[in-house]
Amino acid sequence: MDKIETLDALTGATREAVVHLLYRMADDELIIGHRNSEWTGHAPILEADIAFSSMAQDEMGHAQAYYEILHALGERDPDTLAFGRKPREYRCASLVCLPKGDWGFSLIRQFLYDAAEQVRLTALAESSLVPLAQLTTKLRGEEKYHMMHGRTWVLRLGNATTESHAKMQAALDRAYPHALGLFEPTEFDETLAQAGVCTREEELQKQWESAVAPVLDDAGLEVPDSARPVFGGRVGKHPPELAELLNQMQMVYSIDPAAKW
Amino acid sequence: MTDTQWPVYEVFHQQARGEPHMHVGSIHAPDADMALILGKEQYCRRQACVNIWVVPHEAIHATAYENDDIFIRGTDKSYRESWGYQTPKTVRATDGGTADDG
Repeated sequence: MDKIETLDALTGATREAVVHLLYRMADDELIIGHRNSEWTGHAPILEADIAFSSMAQDEMGHAQAYYEILHALGERDPDTLAFGRKPREYRCASLVCLPKGDWGFSLIRQFLYDAAEQVRLTALAESSLVPLAQLTTKLRGEEKYHMMHGRTWVLRLGNATTESHAKMQAALDRAYPHALGLFEPTEFDETLAQAGVCTREEELQKQWESAVAPVLDDAGLEVPDSARPVFGGRVGKHPPELAELLNQMQMVYSIDPAAKW
Repeated sequence: MTDTQWPVYEVFHQQARGEPHMHVGSIHAPDADMALILGKEQYCRRQACVNIWVVPHEAIHATAYENDDIFIRGTDKSYRESWGYQTPKTVRATDGGTADDG
């Protein structure tokens, strides 16, 4: 597979496919980062609050890094991409749009999400697109910690008490179909795979299922076997909660988009 | 007053391999694994770190402050101080930083 050494070397259909991939990854990171930041000051204990908030910042940092690549590819500047778009212009999956729910739901969501991100980053570390491979290699340490964090929490709450187990199972039942939506097939998958930029979504999904299943099993949680994936996010069709989130997130920015901070 | 929260763990971090672990604070956690997970963000998100230790607070045995006079030197003991024996950085680097600097 020929390496694509620079962003400038991206052309035609491959370039278009990479732009779509980056929007998907960046928007997922931005929105789950915002959702998790809603726990800041509200998590069950101070230590958990700090760790979860810090991870939310990690995700937003990843989003910014992807938006910067998009900007280098001719898209608008990172702030405008984060704060200046309408809901239908976002390419995030429904999983990240859902309200934060209870602590168990946010932990399960973050765990399922981080496992997906880890699978994707592992694939992208071998990407033919060198600048993307270099960036994702840098981000993998943070994601590794996120997985350790998620695994530790899921195992404990899954196995702690009848009440905690029931809450975690309910959270998993709700989150799982949306988590499958992270791997929504797109019209760009074939181009990305052919160019060696990114593994096909269905293959990533299989790797993800192999990654999350043993942890959920150790936590005494059952994957809902009738889960049907919730698609639409990758083509801009979102649950109404995204518009509500964006209204809040963009409130200050929209007062004066040109303000300097 | 009874502490109704999770047990306290003392956190020690290491800024680079071979350096000593330094006490940086304490953390509440239900067990050691969770203390490592939470301690990492609590104490290592702003500074260099390659390793952390967590130790149950009750595992630590301490002197009593009422006995702090035991640390006062009754006579001149400056001959014990090692400030006159500077170890060049190059020497410390060649032993891999693992030697006991005393």
